Amino acid sequence: MNEQTNEQPFIYKLTIYVIGFLLFCEWLLPLETITNTDDVSIFFIYAAFCFFVSFLQVQWWISMPLKFIGLAFILDGLYIAERIFSRDWFSVVYDQIIFNIQVIQTQEWWQMTPLFRSLLFLILLWLMSYLLFYWFVVAKRMLIFVVLTLVYVTVIDTFTFYDGKWAIVRTFILAMAALGMSSFAKEMDKESIPSHWFKRVHLWVLPLLGVIVFSTAAAYASPKLSPQWPDPVPYLKSATGGPGPGGSGAAIQKVGYGENDSRLGGSFVQDNTPVFRAMADGDRYWRIESKDTYTGKGWVDSLDQPTNIYDAENLEYKTFTDNVEVEEQTAMIQMNNGATFQKLVYPYGLGSLLRTPSESNFRLHENTGEIDTLRGDSPAKLNNYVVNYEFPSFEYGQLREATGEDPAEIQENYLQLPDSLPSRVQNLASQIVADEDNRYDKAKAVEQYFSSNGFEYSTTDVDVPSENEDYVDQFLFESQLGYCDNYSTSMVVLLRSQGIPARWVKGFTAGERIDSEATEFSEDLQNTYQVTSANAHSWVEVYFPEIGWVPFEPTQGFSNNTDFYSDIDTDSEDPTAGQTGDTPDQNMGNPQEIEEAESNTDTAGGTSSNGSFMWLYILLGLVVITGIILYFTRFRWMSSLLKRRFRKGGSADRYEQAYQFLLKVLAHKGVKRNPEQTLRDYARSVDSHYQTNEMRQLTNHYERMLYRNDHQNMQWNKVTELWENLIKKALS
Amino acid sequence: MSQQTFLLQPKISEVITNINKVMIGKEEAALLSLVALLAKGHVLLEDVPGVGKTMLVKTLAKSLDCDFKRIQFTPDLLPSDVTGVSIYNPKEMEFEFRPGPILGNVVLADEINRTSPKTQSALLEGMEETSITVDGNTVPLSEPFFVMATQNPIEYEGTYPLPEAQLDRFLLKMKMGYPSAKQEMEMLSRTSGAHPITTISSVLSRDELVGLQKEVEEVYVDTTVNRYIIDLITGTREHDSVYLGVSPRGSISLMKAAKAYAFIHDRDYVVPDDVQYLAPFVLAHRMILTSEARFEGTTAETIIEGLLSSTSIPVKRNIGE
Repeated sequence: MNEQTNEQPFIYKLTIYVIGFLLFCEWLLPLETITNTDDVSIFFIYAAFCFFVSFLQVQWWISMPLKFIGLAFILDGLYIAERIFSRDWFSVVYDQIIFNIQVIQTQEWWQMTPLFRSLLFLILLWLMSYLLFYWFVVAKRMLIFVVLTLVYVTVIDTFTFYDGKWAIVRTFILAMAALGMSSFAKEMDKESIPSHWFKRVHLWVLPLLGVIVFSTAAAYASPKLSPQWPDPVPYLKSATGGPGPGGSGAAIQKVGYGENDSRLGGSFVQDNTPVFRAMADGDRYWRIESKDTYTGKGWVDSLDQPTNIYDAENLEYKTFTDNVEVEEQTAMIQMNNGATFQKLVYPYGLGSLLRTPSESNFRLHENTGEIDTLRGDSPAKLNNYVVNYEFPSFEYGQLREATGEDPAEIQENYLQLPDSLPSRVQNLASQIVADEDNRYDKAKAVEQYFSSNGFEYSTTDVDVPSENEDYVDQFLFESQLGYCDNYSTSMVVLLRSQGIPARWVKGFTAGERIDSEATEFSEDLQNTYQVTSANAHSWVEVYFPEIGWVPFEPTQGFSNNTDFYSDIDTDSEDPTAGQTGDTPDQNMGNPQEIEEAESNTDTAGGTSSNGSFMWLYILLGLVVITGIILYFTRFRWMSSLLKRRFRKGGSADRYEQAYQFLLKVLAHKGVKRNPEQTLRDYARSVDSHYQTNEMRQLTNHYERMLYRNDHQNMQWNKVTELWENLIKKALS
Repeated sequence: MSQQTFLLQPKISEVITNINKVMIGKEEAALLSLVALLAKGHVLLEDVPGVGKTMLVKTLAKSLDCDFKRIQFTPDLLPSDVTGVSIYNPKEMEFEFRPGPILGNVVLADEINRTSPKTQSALLEGMEETSITVDGNTVPLSEPFFVMATQNPIEYEGTYPLPEAQLDRFLLKMKMGYPSAKQEMEMLSRTSGAHPITTISSVLSRDELVGLQKEVEEVYVDTTVNRYIIDLITGTREHDSVYLGVSPRGSISLMKAAKAYAFIHDRDYVVPDDVQYLAPFVLAHRMILTSEARFEGTTAETIIEGLLSSTSIPVKRNIGE
């Protein structure tokens, strides 16, 4: 509009451009985390250099060599031993480039040398400095880049290990400042305020700062929704067949089945990645293995041997004797594609396997119950199998009367305790069981001890015991806060201290019941369970002479998936076998009823969302983003739509629509028509705004149609041309 | 409103050029007079003496090859002085009609509010009926017939203000206004020799004028524009400061005037701009303000201005019906 528009004060340009650079830095920052680049600082330095040179706006024949020399120095420092710009130096660079170009031609991308990759990246930085200078300073369009930066940071934060929490905050503040300044400058342009007003700093810097500080503080202080879907990183990793989650070491771990339990403790992140689906007659523990030696920090296995190899038909593993009443049942297990562990997941009373691939063999660790799945001799994942098992039901009376002597082998292996165990643990155990006279009631007392007495279930803020602290002692007396490992380990230790043989068992809980259907394996309906990483669990088995190992469930909020019954009177006797009674025992074998309420057999937190929800959210997000983009670009796409319709041939309706659309576009661009303004009058102001007379011509035609009711003699070509020109002018 | 941007109808353009040879800076008055003339209406000029009212009418009449008559209204003027009288002719032994000034084509009724209502109504009746009755004989008025009445706003002493019903018969009421200093300078230099009115000749014959009037009647007014007119008129009736709003005759007049205005601009259809431009001239003298509004200094013109800037323009087809 006037000559001053392009003459923005130096300080404005500098600030805008520095903000652009800082935003660009947000793009570089995650590189160190998400790629295996050791040191990105050199890239920052080069980017800053390029931005600086671009800002000087010197002639290209100065800036190009400058940037090139910078690039050469970086490559020299990083990769080339020769003296810079010496003959050998150039020949090295030349060889490298020739080699890489050949590599690219043969599409063997992985062969590209680091030097060449760095070169390409530095050139990218170089180009970005131009691009951002153009976007921010010349075109004054920073919104696109700001939005892209925000999207980039959120995507990187969501899908990689990079923590973009502060990056978002920084981006937000920078974006606010940049957009605020640019819209201020645009307003000044529009109102033709001379640019020296810019120097009245207090007039605009203070309000802008105020707005930024206020909105940042408000955003920081306001409550935020917790993440709406599970962290996609483990999900993606498992979906792409990466190593399974679990294990220990990091301070925050992903919940799931892991093999190393020598150091327990620490917080967990919930992970609802599906592991397998099971079809069974009721809730079952999915056992994997037991461990026998408590180290004071965790569990190790001293009874790994002996192992025997069986084929599917002869694989049998029972943890109880024939004195226990059983019911023959069949379950079907379908491992998720993402799950990777090569172990058999089985219910109590494993009898035999069906429908396994030929050459499937199973290496059973006789003591722990760990069963490796083999194809021939080498470990392999078993995807689908049907398992026949004898589902045990333990009779209370029988358990209470099991007073025989434990076999020596059992006593030797399952009463182990570390020497470092503080004596107060044993004292506590004595107190808990003081009133009980039989093993079952003692075990029950210990199991129930955790449901009160101030214990709390949590997967977060769980401590790892320090060097001279005992894991159980810490949980029992200090934190009283933990998850299944804490509860089950503590119960085992407490029982052992009272001379009751017990062991620590790992596997999965029953999972979330998602369906029930008729199957060939059962007369009744069978339930389908979705078992996710979050269902990984540990519980306790207690030895009873002549009965065998009986599962107990000390963890708060979980119910024992084992069946107990009473011979005398089913109604009155001890209904608390399933602890805290969330799932009454009677329900266990009753698949017809799908629980409406959220099942507590999940790990606490009860998150029922899983991967499929994530896609829903992503879809929703895409729809919203598309909607926003369509909204903001509505004038552009609508005009091309109208243009195409217009070209097909004119009609009064189309013309009216197109003209009204033009009015909207113009109004949007700041040349608004008041309702009481005549079209002619408006056309004059539009024309003077765009320095043309096309709006007047177009309006004359429109008036003729509107007020003369004459659309026979329209010169559609002329009208279309005028309209297109005006739309182009308005949108440019 | 700059009229120059739009081409005028060629004949009308000639007339205005002709008038401009004599009058300086009176384009608007000339244009409005032509609007009234073409719409077969009449004009009420309200202005102080000496600003060129008579000269305007004279120039107009001369440019049109029309018969110009002037009636100076005084308190003792009789109706027969306007219409004419029958006088006994002793030679022929019968009464002979001597036509009065109203039987001209372009009639200047100067200071119309200084005569008695009786005489006023003789003129006004003629304006409305296109014929007069003298001694029981109906005498048709000549065609075209165009009255330009003037009234003096400041000389209220001894005046008979025109009643509403009679004001309504004027299509337009306008003011001339003083010329600017520059215009007046030029005027002085032009009139130093022979008066320029003696130099101009007619550019439009009487028949041509009648033909143009017919063409004006053909000008198309779309329902959307009619709707806009009605919106404006309704606005005057509903306005708080207005005691009596514009009558339906006012709507018709506005439409007619707009047709003529469109025609002058060489258009065969009316656009809302025409209506907007003419509304103050056509409507202002047709409404009576409340005494409170008058006391506050509100004028009909400001009310119309307000209505124009609050009534939306139809910009889509088929509004209303």
